[in-house]
Amino acid sequence: MKKFIKPLFTLLITIIFIGCGEKKKSRGLIGATCMNIANPFFKVIEESMRDEAAKHGYDLIYLGCEMDISKQQKQIQDFLAKGVVAVAVNPKDSKAIGTAVKECNDANVPVFSFDVRVQAPDAKVVSHVGTDNFQGGELAGEAMIKSLGEAGGKVVVIDFRAAESCIERVKGFKKVIDAYNAQRESGKIEIAAELAGDGLRDKGFKAAEDALQQVPDMRGIFAINDPSGLGAVGALEKAGKLDQVTVIAFDGMPAGKQAIKDGKIYADPVQHPDKIGRECIRAIVSHLSGEEVQPNIDIPASLYTKETADADTSLN
Amino acid sequence: MSAFGKPAKKLLSFISGEYGMAAVLLLLCILFSALTIEEKSPEGTKGGEKLAADIIKLTKTDPTNYPDNLKIFIAANKGKIGQNFANSLKEELNNSGLKVTGQAVGDPLEVRKLLQSAGDIDLIATTSSMESLPLFDSFLDNETKIRSPRTYLWPVFLTPVNLRNITSQIAVIAILAIGMTMVIITAGIDLSVGSMIALSAVVAASIIEKMGGAAEAGTLVFLVASLAGVLVCTLSGAFTGIMVSQFSIPPFIATLAMMQVLRGIAFKIANNETISDVPASFQWLGNGLSYGIPNCVILMIILYALAHVMMNKSMLGRYIYAIGANAEASRMSGISPKKIKFTVYAICGGTAGLGGIVMASQLQSGAGNYGVTYELMVIAAVVVGGTSLFGGKGKVLGTLIGAFIIAVITNGMNLLLLGSETQMIVLGLVILIAILIERIRSGEWKNAVGG
Repeated sequence: MKKFIKPLFTLLITIIFIGCGEKKKSRGLIGATCMNIANPFFKVIEESMRDEAAKHGYDLIYLGCEMDISKQQKQIQDFLAKGVVAVAVNPKDSKAIGTAVKECNDANVPVFSFDVRVQAPDAKVVSHVGTDNFQGGELAGEAMIKSLGEAGGKVVVIDFRAAESCIERVKGFKKVIDAYNAQRESGKIEIAAELAGDGLRDKGFKAAEDALQQVPDMRGIFAINDPSGLGAVGALEKAGKLDQVTVIAFDGMPAGKQAIKDGKIYADPVQHPDKIGRECIRAIVSHLSGEEVQPNIDIPASLYTKETADADTSLN
Repeated sequence: MSAFGKPAKKLLSFISGEYGMAAVLLLLCILFSALTIEEKSPEGTKGGEKLAADIIKLTKTDPTNYPDNLKIFIAANKGKIGQNFANSLKEELNNSGLKVTGQAVGDPLEVRKLLQSAGDIDLIATTSSMESLPLFDSFLDNETKIRSPRTYLWPVFLTPVNLRNITSQIAVIAILAIGMTMVIITAGIDLSVGSMIALSAVVAASIIEKMGGAAEAGTLVFLVASLAGVLVCTLSGAFTGIMVSQFSIPPFIATLAMMQVLRGIAFKIANNETISDVPASFQWLGNGLSYGIPNCVILMIILYALAHVMMNKSMLGRYIYAIGANAEASRMSGISPKKIKFTVYAICGGTAGLGGIVMASQLQSGAGNYGVTYELMVIAAVVVGGTSLFGGKGKVLGTLIGAFIIAVITNGMNLLLLGSETQMIVLGLVILIAILIERIRSGEWKNAVGG
């Protein structure tokens, strides 16, 4: 019986030690919750938030809700019970997060959103920190123009209409293309089709296959994220047309960057999660210092190209 | 072994006795209370009075630093509690002849603006949650001091807000676990309950949105929508029951298939979106309080009381145990295992539907991805509560305790600021330990051949 008792006690004591560690006085606790801790994007945000919070003397708890909106609501309720000075939320569901945000509003705890907005009526958020998706879309448009050159031609957009951020990317893309076409007599770039890719690899693959049927002479594909872009690359490879079509995706996930290095994707506007995390904490600190905070803090995307990839030591 | 083993075995058998898991629950509560002891301070009117008394005392004991003509500025958080704090503080200070030169109740921004225009200040009197904010940094120097009500030690775990959180957070899983307990006692399993949460939530939310006039919908519409959600899930459960009882499809496979089907239907009804055009009053069940108790917790208690009576006093309850212990023997003695199984799966569907309504109400919306993997949490609650997966043994109230053990651990770990990864590991280990204790107590591990 001793055999079982001992590990049990060891576990208990470990828990006690974890709980009792570090009891130094801080400015207060910031509670953050993201949709999925397994996604490296949110891990980078966590690290930059942790550094920035420590710099200003705050403690941080950063949890992931593993794509369960009800769990995210519970985490925010627990933050409130714990007495956090501010809540930073990356909503799993822009609308369903509303009740939890309203609870914070009632308790007068300021709420900040990052990466994804809160879109529920009456739910008040002090400020939103996220990638400027419209500007990112513009970068994608400029890259497409550069790649197609004087000849122009037909391009296809693989989009994801359920996500606000992806709609913005397409808008930015179209704005640049339209402005370019307006200045030219010939060699215009025509958006020949917009197909749904749902931001997924298999759907992106199918969408690109359909596009090959509908627009056999297409010269470019803009996919609103890396998975759908990689799906499109797969379809083009299968059809043996990858060398004739420029693929531009979005995000700069490791697989996407690798594809850029291998010359399969032309370029990616990339997000900067480290800046998102840092600016979110800075906004919280400013708010708590009694300073005015912008309701929208846009983090510009930057273009990741073959040259960037060649210099990137994280790739092989 | 012998000297130490006997009392240890006695303790273990108590812990996992009939409702012995209650002792584990109690231990966890004590553990988390001890671990979450933190400095708390009085709030609102009481906080104001305490701070006023402190300041008045200081002017008497330390007149060089705190003279009678001290210029005091009161700062408090936005909202009713902050307002009460400021009001009572000001009143008490004025009564004893001290001078309050300014007062700010609001956001950091508002407080800062008022402070800047307040002129010369000797003392900022504020709440303890505000005291450490960087807001005051630029105002504090040798001349200007800051004070907040004195703190006392109190476990965060045991604050009323947190206890309400725990109970309302587990309500959905606990309600689902009622039906699951019955299914597992018949030696079955139902993997489709997580999908039923989504189905019920989506059915209710879309009825409110489409037929109930969206944001203007009233109580009657809520009731109809909720009943529809529960009914759809009861019928789905009944369908599973037919598959299991009439066609003897193993419950694991039948419900695994239903899990896919129902999840798909839920996504289809919701059109892959979140149905959120639901009035705020729909939150009454999920987030509302009656006499300080969350309404969903009251519903949960009523359901457990009903289920307890049913399992212990009714024929149906006895039959459920009987077919779980030995289906063949009970068939011989004139009980119809088919009918009982059918009923049990229908009940399980019904409780899952109710859980879905509670979740829809808590989130004021419905979506196809609600309740993913909840079936596993529910099964864990049932098993931790002492019900045997082999059927015939188990108690509904044990399940309630099992659900609370899971809820307390999750909540406690959030309060201890453990990261998500650690939380997963600990929760998994606790479930394993609970079942291990049960195994050791029953002594079955000694006879096991392995595998």
